[in-house]
Amino acid sequence: MSPERKIDLAWLMLVLLSVGGAGIGSADGAGLGVAVVVSLVMAVKLRLVCTYFLELHEAHPRIRRAVLAFCHGMPILVILTTAFGDTLSSLTGALIG
Amino acid sequence: MSGGWQHEDSDPFHAARCRSAPVTLAVPLSLPTPAPAPELGTAPAPAGRIPGSKAMWVGIFCEITEFALLFAVFFVARAHHPEAFHNGPEQLSLLAGTGYTLMLLTSGWCVARALHAMRRGQRGACVRWMVAGFVFGLGYPAIKIFELQRNFALGLDGSAGVFIVSYYYLTFTHLVHVFWGLLGMLWVIARTGLGAYTVEEHSGLEAFACYWHVTDMIWLMIFPLFYLLG
Repeated sequence: MSPERKIDLAWLMLVLLSVGGAGIGSADGAGLGVAVVVSLVMAVKLRLVCTYFLELHEAHPRIRRAVLAFCHGMPILVILTTAFGDTLSSLTGALIG
Repeated sequence: MSGGWQHEDSDPFHAARCRSAPVTLAVPLSLPTPAPAPELGTAPAPAGRIPGSKAMWVGIFCEITEFALLFAVFFVARAHHPEAFHNGPEQLSLLAGTGYTLMLLTSGWCVARALHAMRRGQRGACVRWMVAGFVFGLGYPAIKIFELQRNFALGLDGSAGVFIVSYYYLTFTHLVHVFWGLLGMLWVIARTGLGAYTVEEHSGLEAFACYWHVTDMIWLMIFPLFYLLG
């Protein structure tokens, strides 16, 4: 498969995931389950952009690690802050006042 | 894009040969066989290269740091005001949020195709893909105008609560980066059209593509935070 065809398929997947993600958002419901699903969709989309658009696998390891840490960190933080929102609130209470 | 050739000064094997090889006429002269040139557009680039330019990656990491801080503020505000953030997405237009996402993804796709067209030496196709990327990129501020009109009509301004304030902070900061990207895209389109980039040297085009894709990635994080999760 040519690199161009891979980019086309990645774009198609990204569009489908975005429309599907909007469907999740419009569905009634909230909580940890929705946060996990939304985070997984986010992680897959970020990975597709990193691999096929940004071509991160060819980049210097330091660039690759830093960008991947950012991309993997966000979905994990979404889940953690949803699951442990009260703990985060009490930990940062002194900062907020 | 980088070639497979390494400068002799940075080649340790070349330096070792220069130091140890005795200079004598008895040594048969034989030139090393050069490695075959990689086929354009299909050969993988050497591992560990810096896509685009170092300067652009300094800028990209500044952008990532800026948004990482704003995301941290978002998570703390969400932890302190769970009700406001739980009800927040209902106030926003999911259609507009999905529209931004599709416009940026399609623009990023066009830019990625433009880069591959340049790697294959198809300058005309590269310009056409870049122009298409610019048009889709313009869709982002166009939707923003309509969304802001809707929001202000509904009273969703800077005094509408912590969720809306967080939303404006993050999305306006992202909008600024999209504007830089659109201006950069015009510059790259002009330079491509004038023949400034070649198959061998188009690091400026690649640097712009990296910036645009990272800006795209950041929107892919913002979108679910405000429009889906709250």
